[in-house]
Amino acid sequence: MALVDPIDANDPGRPNRPATYGETNRDIIRVLLKPTVGWAVAVVLAAIAMVYGGWCWYQQFTWGMGVSGYHPPIQWGVYIVTFVFWIGIGHAGTLISAILFLVRSRWRTGVYRASEAMTVFAVMTALLFPVLHLGRCWQAYWFFPYPNQRQLWMNFKSPLMWDVFAISTYFTVSAVFFYVGLIPDIAVFRDHSRGLVRRVYGVLSVGWRGTHVQWHSYMGSYGFFAAFAAPLVLSVHSVVSWDFAMAPTPGWHSTIFPPYFVAGAIFSGCAMVISLLMPMAYLFDWHKYVNTWHYENLAKMCLLTSGILTYAYGMEYFVGWYSQNPFEQSIFFWRATPTADYGWAFYLMVFCNCIAPIAWYSKKLRTNHVSLFIVAAIINVGMWMERFNIIVSSLAHNFDPATWTTYAPTWIEWGVLIGSAGWFSFWFLLFSKTFPAIAITEIKEMVAPPVRGH
Amino acid sequence: MNRRDFLKALGLGGTVSAASACTLDDNVYFTPVEKVLPFVTRPEQTTPGTNSHFATTIGTGPRAWPVVSVHRDGRVINVGANDNTGVARAVTAANLFELQKHWSPDRVTAPRKDGAPATWDDATRELVGKAVAARSAGKKVAYVGPYRSGTIVDVLRTVTSGNALFFEPLGLDAEALAAKALFGDVGLPRYLLDDARMVLSFGAPFLGDAYASPGLRASFATAKSANHGNYVARFVAVTPVKDQTAANADDWHGCVPGTEAMVALAIAKLVADAKHYSGPATAMLAAANVEAAASASGISAETIQSIAKAFAMESAVALPGGINGASAAATRLAGAVYLLNHVSGHETMRPGGYRGPISSLADVQALVADMQAGKVGVLLLDDVDLVHALPGGTFAAALANVGTVVSLTGSPNETNAAAKLWMPTHDAFEDWGDEEMAAGVLLTRQPGATPRGDTRSMGDVLFDLWRALDAATAPALSWRDHLWTVWARFAPVPAPPEDAPADWTPPPVDISAARTRQWLDGTLQRGMVATGMAGGSLTVTGSMDLASTAEHAGDGAYHLAVYAHNFKLDGRYANEPWAQETPDPMTGHVWDTWALVHPETAGKLGVRDNDEIKITAPGGEIKVGVEVHPCVAKDVIAVAMGGGKTAASGRYAEEGRGANVLAILPDRKDPSGAYVVQGVKVAVAATGARANLVSTYGNDDDADRNFAVVCEAEEWSKVGDAETEHVGHLNGIHHMEMDRRLTANESAWRKQNPDAEMEKTSFVDFYPVPDHPTYRFTLTVDTNACNGCGACMVACQAENNLPVVGKWKMEKARQLAWIRIDRFFAKHTDDESPSVHFVPMMCQQCAHAPCESVCPVLATYHTIDGLNAMVYNRCVGTRYCANACPYSVRRFNYHSYVWPEPFNLQLNPDVVARTMGVMEKCTFCVQRIRRTKAAYRAEGFTNTVPNEALNQLTACAEACPSQALSFGNLNDPESTPHKTRKSGRNYLALSDINTFPAVNYLSRASFHVHRPHHGGGGEHAAASGHETEGTHHEPAHDAGGH
Repeated sequence: MALVDPIDANDPGRPNRPATYGETNRDIIRVLLKPTVGWAVAVVLAAIAMVYGGWCWYQQFTWGMGVSGYHPPIQWGVYIVTFVFWIGIGHAGTLISAILFLVRSRWRTGVYRASEAMTVFAVMTALLFPVLHLGRCWQAYWFFPYPNQRQLWMNFKSPLMWDVFAISTYFTVSAVFFYVGLIPDIAVFRDHSRGLVRRVYGVLSVGWRGTHVQWHSYMGSYGFFAAFAAPLVLSVHSVVSWDFAMAPTPGWHSTIFPPYFVAGAIFSGCAMVISLLMPMAYLFDWHKYVNTWHYENLAKMCLLTSGILTYAYGMEYFVGWYSQNPFEQSIFFWRATPTADYGWAFYLMVFCNCIAPIAWYSKKLRTNHVSLFIVAAIINVGMWMERFNIIVSSLAHNFDPATWTTYAPTWIEWGVLIGSAGWFSFWFLLFSKTFPAIAITEIKEMVAPPVRGH
Repeated sequence: MNRRDFLKALGLGGTVSAASACTLDDNVYFTPVEKVLPFVTRPEQTTPGTNSHFATTIGTGPRAWPVVSVHRDGRVINVGANDNTGVARAVTAANLFELQKHWSPDRVTAPRKDGAPATWDDATRELVGKAVAARSAGKKVAYVGPYRSGTIVDVLRTVTSGNALFFEPLGLDAEALAAKALFGDVGLPRYLLDDARMVLSFGAPFLGDAYASPGLRASFATAKSANHGNYVARFVAVTPVKDQTAANADDWHGCVPGTEAMVALAIAKLVADAKHYSGPATAMLAAANVEAAASASGISAETIQSIAKAFAMESAVALPGGINGASAAATRLAGAVYLLNHVSGHETMRPGGYRGPISSLADVQALVADMQAGKVGVLLLDDVDLVHALPGGTFAAALANVGTVVSLTGSPNETNAAAKLWMPTHDAFEDWGDEEMAAGVLLTRQPGATPRGDTRSMGDVLFDLWRALDAATAPALSWRDHLWTVWARFAPVPAPPEDAPADWTPPPVDISAARTRQWLDGTLQRGMVATGMAGGSLTVTGSMDLASTAEHAGDGAYHLAVYAHNFKLDGRYANEPWAQETPDPMTGHVWDTWALVHPETAGKLGVRDNDEIKITAPGGEIKVGVEVHPCVAKDVIAVAMGGGKTAASGRYAEEGRGANVLAILPDRKDPSGAYVVQGVKVAVAATGARANLVSTYGNDDDADRNFAVVCEAEEWSKVGDAETEHVGHLNGIHHMEMDRRLTANESAWRKQNPDAEMEKTSFVDFYPVPDHPTYRFTLTVDTNACNGCGACMVACQAENNLPVVGKWKMEKARQLAWIRIDRFFAKHTDDESPSVHFVPMMCQQCAHAPCESVCPVLATYHTIDGLNAMVYNRCVGTRYCANACPYSVRRFNYHSYVWPEPFNLQLNPDVVARTMGVMEKCTFCVQRIRRTKAAYRAEGFTNTVPNEALNQLTACAEACPSQALSFGNLNDPESTPHKTRKSGRNYLALSDINTFPAVNYLSRASFHVHRPHHGGGGEHAAASGHETEGTHHEPAHDAGGH
């Protein structure tokens, strides 16, 4: 990981780098000390949201899917919207940690660990939904090819089955990649702790001593996993998009979906990294490590992917017109009709994903923390709305006009959505307090090495 | 302990604990041991696990219908069609509601006295005592019930000394009064629709259950079919509300309510003039006035003249108004319609309709007066709810002055809530009986099982009463034996013995004689005794005053039109959840009561869909939700009957309460004494509140997606449904190439044309088209014959254990209907109001089913017979299949639904009841397919099941009163689906999205479509007119379409 020139002295966004290895250790290990009130409040709120979501799920488990707002022909709604949303969030983490690593993009150093954690927790959150939205979630194990006497098997033609493998692979690889990167940093924590905590960190750091051989193996395996994870960024969300594109439903049945979904995933993920890291940097006073330089680069990623999305939105309309497919034309025309049932959702999406990010073309706004935070939040809402538009409005305006109807989520569904955010935040907060949310190893690479007599 | 000992101990301990964990206890816990014991003595006529069928009759009076009751292990579970009587073969929605009424949890099934359970002995003693006391005090013993016919009528009349009233608030009394005045005592006339080229209706809902002539639906479908003759009958309706029946009209003229009599008389006069009529009716026609009729009704004089011209020209039939014509001129409307048929000379109206007793409102009012005066000692109440039907609470008040009110029915309603003595009698599934639905047709009724509770036959109850009142004349036999004796009189007379003396007379009827018993068995199996049809034609022997004016009670700005609810009718089925939850054919509403308002009128009132309005009539006011609807005349507020039933009528009546429009009507009758509901002017105002109406319907038009397809009636008349080279050429849509391709991909045609056709039509597809070597089960849906009556939906619900979800779950559109009827409005070239299309939509059993490939656990798959099978217990509930289904016919169990006892006893054991979280759908009644195949196999039959056994196999096809649905094997060249798939009217729903559905649709014939034919010269139109079947001509689209 030794980069040629850690920090370009002429880079205008150049961070205030820490002076020494010791300072780096201290700054990051500081989070292990007594929790701040802000952190504790955040954890409690997340736990409450999580428990509330769990209670809502319990209601659904007991009384059936009828507690949701689903009805024929709109059989998917908030749950699948939120599933795709969280899967999408995860993608930015892998992009930053794996792809930016492979292309040796230096600004990833400060943000990659937190992004990677975000990936793992977002996929964990997303994984709740395919189970949770089942009519009989206690039979979810039927998705797996387990041996059984009745010779029951799954349907490999089904995109949902592809999802099972794509997402489980993604989760496994992300988790392993995440953990491998953590090992040297956990060793630092081990070395700075005592008692039981030290033993736990000791086990988790799998005997890391920082020897030359260890570093050699570490660097090799890290590179391998980065190369392994990089294509998953493209494949997983492509597979998720096939859940829709493979069904004949107008508004879903489109070959543009895989790239469109991947771009959307990175867009929402980068915005989410801003939304997560900025409060964390303020909370832990890590401006030395995560600062405007990173935010601005993330904002630039968002600008690029926002452009791709805007193009994709436009292309859907162009293809609808060019194909002369009446069903296709009808759904897109209806979606964009301001007075139609989901007109508001469409224009909210366009505003959030296409118009609001334009602000970041201005350097001033792109480097202003308040505007960064607000626009990132808007993008998060917009990307949720995008999935809502795709899923709900297409089903609401299906082939048979006699079945056209509308869908409104119930408080149970909102409860589960809030609960999923609580679940995600809970894990993320716990992580940020117990593990180095900033990669100590890689930060040290940017610090001038300690030279005897210096 | 060393390592070896440890491992030994571990192995032993593990084995023991594992073994003990799966002892028999586990099995006992999870699967209770059930011992299967054979019957020592098998119940008669019952094989456990199979259905028994009994030909019987459901419904009373003119509504009686020959059916087969289906029994399983001693309980009635379904109603099937009876095709042995020669009367229309079908099952109507009302028949199935009677089935649900049988199992209703609210039904009283044991006698009660003063609110406490009683024995039949007690109850009978009480009844007899009160009746004898009443008689000796000079008071009346009276009976009020629905229309009844056959043997029971004489018994009722004798027991009550003529004080038996048969009344229903559905407007048939005016027709009976008019018939009596004009033709004498011949009963109602019979209408022959089959050969009519024009059907003119003044509102009678004859395509639904509210009008009492079931066979008219099949006759109408025949008249509308070009296959019957080379014409399509034109249906003209003059009525303010385009209800389910009038929705089928080619021309609908929305008149002012109550003016139909003037229009009918004017048309009769014009027809008489055109036909140079000079018979006995001439004087009565003198009152006709075309201009007055036109100005009062809002129908132009030109329209009236053109209707009359068409009516006079070719064979035509006019139908009266039923409940929709029950205005102050109700009897005059019926009289005018009779005369119209009479003067036209078409002979489409014949004697031989229903001739049982029909009491008029005047008769009921006389009884009410007697009741109020305290002259009625005992009132026997049968299944008719007069408290609900008569305005002003008059009946309820009068009931208080009756000595003893007795309920003879177990079905609670607001009227018999006042009964002190409950003597619940058998219902149609438990009783012996007969009904003369039309003159000369005596339908027999027999019980198929023991009664559900402690009920008795009404005949036996009445016989007991008769014996107490007048022992001398009372019959000694039981009710059943009495009936058998009555029927046996129609048994063929035995031939005289060879040595018979000259004055030999046949022996008296003896039902114990073997010969008679044999005849009776045959009769019961057939379900009918033919007593001699009436022939000849109706002659006008009397006269009546037919002059009428538009007479309106009340002084509001809007006309109130009252029409019968399609399923609840006048409210009699309000406690049947199937009746409440089957969507209204025109609006899709379930439960509740709604008001239909024309869009312009709604604009005037400032209301939108689902706004609440207050309707103020002279008799009171009600609040109902608004449905803005194009199929109602302007300034008319149309409200269906049957709402507003209270908890006294049962839990479901209460759940779907709505408002009772009959309660706000002024108390009036027409000059002849007939029941009146129309012709009231009301004040209407928005209350500002929102109503809570629930409709299952989505978009009103089909957005050019070819769900509702029309052909030109004239074009179709020329070619009929013969197989043609150019499938669907009558439809004028661009699907033909695809349809041809589909045809070629079906096994039947592939076998016929192994190479040539395939080559031309082969195409590349990701997955191969499945082969169906033996069967390809297919349903043909003739949208031209479908009139939207909804019998198929109810039949499906009964057959396939579809739960009723209840009103609040319907608000979330959780209906579980495997077959639904999509109702579309379409504006054709010269339509004034939208044409209505009913398109029954069920699983299309696609060969390339989008649902199958997306199911992750293979819970739905394609069978070799072409069905999309559904394995309920494999389903995990991703609902992906429902999202992928282009027809949105898959239904999801959002909850576990329960059938309150004893509704659960109606469940069909051949169909599993689904639980929470499982997807379900139509599989063409696969249980019936299996049963039929097994039956043929058991007979040693090795070929495919023949067409006759399949044609009406599915519950929907069996029920359809119009025979719009035919089932069969597409691979069988003799089957209806095979033939219709290659007809000029055939189309497939969404045929260009490569799903290859199995269901054939046949387009609806319209007189209002005038397609520009290709080539700019109309050569094709001219040419095809002269071509015979099977000759080649290019389909219309080929030149211009692509």
